[in-house]
Amino acid sequence: MDILLNEEEQMVRDAARSFLESETSTKLAREMEKDPLGYPPALWKQIADLGWVGMCIPDQYGGQGLGLTYLGLVLEEVGRAIAPLPLHSTTVPAITIAEFGSEEIKQAVLPGVCSGDTLLAFAFQERDPRIIADAIKTTAVLEGDNYVVNGTKMFVDNINTASKVLTVVRKPGTTGRDGLSLLLIDTDAAGLTQTLEVTTAKDKQGRVDLNNVKVPKSALIGEEGKGWPIAEKMLDVATALLVIQMEGTARKDAEITIAYAKERTAFGRPIGAFQSVAHMLADAIMWCDGAQLLGYEALWALENRGNAGLEVSQAKSFANDRLLPACRIGQQIHGGIGFMMEFDIALYYRRVAASTMRLGTSFEHRARIAAALIDQPGTVRLGEPIATL
Amino acid sequence: MEFAYTPAQRALQKEVQDFIAKEVTPEVEAEQDEIGRGPLVEAVYDKIKANGWRAISWPKQYGGQDGNRLDQYIVEEEFARVGFSVGGGGSGAPTILAGGNQEQKDKYIAKLISGEWSFCQGFTEPQGGADLAGLQCRAVKDGDDYIINGQKMYTTGAHRATHIYLMARTDPDSKRNAGISIFLIPMDTPGITVRPLWSIQNEPRAPRGTTYGENRTNETFFEDVRVPANCLLGEENNGWNLSAMGLNLDRVGASRYLISVRRDEDIVNWVKDPANADLAANIKDNPSARDRIAECWTEAQVCRLMTLRSMSIVEHEGKFTYEGSAEKVWAPEHGVKTTETIAALLGPYAQLLNGAEDAIESGLYAHNVMGAFQSGINHGSTQIMRDQVALRGLGLPRSR
Repeated sequence: MDILLNEEEQMVRDAARSFLESETSTKLAREMEKDPLGYPPALWKQIADLGWVGMCIPDQYGGQGLGLTYLGLVLEEVGRAIAPLPLHSTTVPAITIAEFGSEEIKQAVLPGVCSGDTLLAFAFQERDPRIIADAIKTTAVLEGDNYVVNGTKMFVDNINTASKVLTVVRKPGTTGRDGLSLLLIDTDAAGLTQTLEVTTAKDKQGRVDLNNVKVPKSALIGEEGKGWPIAEKMLDVATALLVIQMEGTARKDAEITIAYAKERTAFGRPIGAFQSVAHMLADAIMWCDGAQLLGYEALWALENRGNAGLEVSQAKSFANDRLLPACRIGQQIHGGIGFMMEFDIALYYRRVAASTMRLGTSFEHRARIAAALIDQPGTVRLGEPIATL
Repeated sequence: MEFAYTPAQRALQKEVQDFIAKEVTPEVEAEQDEIGRGPLVEAVYDKIKANGWRAISWPKQYGGQDGNRLDQYIVEEEFARVGFSVGGGGSGAPTILAGGNQEQKDKYIAKLISGEWSFCQGFTEPQGGADLAGLQCRAVKDGDDYIINGQKMYTTGAHRATHIYLMARTDPDSKRNAGISIFLIPMDTPGITVRPLWSIQNEPRAPRGTTYGENRTNETFFEDVRVPANCLLGEENNGWNLSAMGLNLDRVGASRYLISVRRDEDIVNWVKDPANADLAANIKDNPSARDRIAECWTEAQVCRLMTLRSMSIVEHEGKFTYEGSAEKVWAPEHGVKTTETIAALLGPYAQLLNGAEDAIESGLYAHNVMGAFQSGINHGSTQIMRDQVALRGLGLPRSR
């Protein structure tokens, strides 16, 4: 037990921070909010060459074969820098494919991902946006060598630049966790249309309408009809990584605000000398710490243990509930200027706000925690693993 | 980052758990409930000492094992769960180790970590605690002695302690934190009087495991108390710096953590116990109640992780900037939140105190309502702790 970062982890974090500080800026982030692609391809190529995209992909497919915590540390820095990179949305499906895909599909897809040539996306949520199996209504019917897919996927991040989207589908007539499968669908397939939303984060989340889309049988990840555990793991990985990315953004927001409170004067003293202000900032840092500790533990548990659902849901519900208020403290302390488009603090606020709304509400995550705690036999003890149901 | 215990740490935890299963019998627990530390409880403490578990992380020369702080924490947590305090040394010893002269280290530390001697704390006075500007207890040099006059409040355990760790003003012209010294004084010194202050958790007696759970604290009076000069800890007028060290170490650890989170476990285990099916029905299947329970549980995990972060910092011999203070804000406020949440969930049953025929868990939750907030007051209030986070952690300017 030693929950601080070890030397290698510190090196990875420091390297990511110094690279992003020199290669990105909030100016770039703002430009990319108006850019049709949403990311600079040259920068993407650079981080692929640094090994970030393939960080958790085994080396035989061109990756580095490192654990999930390392990718978490990089994404924390991506969040801190608000680096406009589709890293989260590509690595989540890539990690899922690496763990559950056939050898054929891994060889076909992963080397291109690691080199930065192939961007991916993943699609779970639908019009009923709950992150439970029951919400999956999109169907896939096997006809000859192809599945025929019909349905609508929502909030698919960076769908505009992905060449393939890992999609959770259902066999008609099944309910609940039975009958789910994952298909890696080409985004240029006939019958697939995408419609980008206009979002708080000004990112590239889209609706994907699937109208009789033909998907070859070979695009199946895992076994047909047994996709729930794969989908659940994919969501858990996505959620834990999102928590740590949004925490990176929120912490930077707090740091900017602390610096501002030391400089800005009112009534003849720096506003940070007023306890009403100082105590708000103490809370903001504690909340960032809480989200970080829970997020790190969730990543660690995903890497080292089978079932990490409890840790993931703890982390996301806490991050949702505390990081938006932490950034709102940034807005409050900055006063009127924080409301102005040109001032950076609002950019951090918008990004964190948007992340609290993605990949599960606090209520959904806490329902999952409560079920794990209450609906199975045995007693609970803090610090001991508890499986989610 | 490594969030699991090593096999050796697991084995130590198991060893202690097995010891507790064997030695902390229902008879021992009954004695704890009725009188606190009686002969059966003392016999268990003797065995704990014989196993070397009181002072794993302390230096060998003072009776410790030169072990690490995390092993000590593992042992402390298991015993704290059954109402045994094995934090070798308690308060006082860490400061003596850090700031005492060799004679004082030799005299006190081995006896403190063996439990033969214990300190109560003499900091707070009727005029205030956190603000030392109001500290009035005086120690006047008289030849080779000091003569002490004053009154200390909330000297918890003074009626049991062998010594008091006393903060007194040695420079009458000094202000605030300067001019204060620490004295180590035997409680049987003539001129010391201890009077009980009964807490609202008393009558009926708070059951074992209640948060805070002190039925009694004390006020202690010093009237021309003459002590030899070798009772002075460290340098004269340097008491504030010494005590700040001790308080930091006092704010982190297994018992601090556990008193803030035990109810989070208890309520879940109570709700799911089939024996409570009738009383718990409205909680178990109520989505709002389940949501609140999961929220409290998650915040308890943050308490746990903040504590483990502190232990990891100690292991690395790192310096605390704000982490201990943050823990002392987060954990007590969490303990209050959970206590009040459970009271809201249990409704009328949350009123029933120890001894009521229909009380849940001997009135644990009702007594908890009357004491959980106390953790946010003693050893530095949450307001003072937020100041510390802001000043030392965030580098914000002083407000005064």
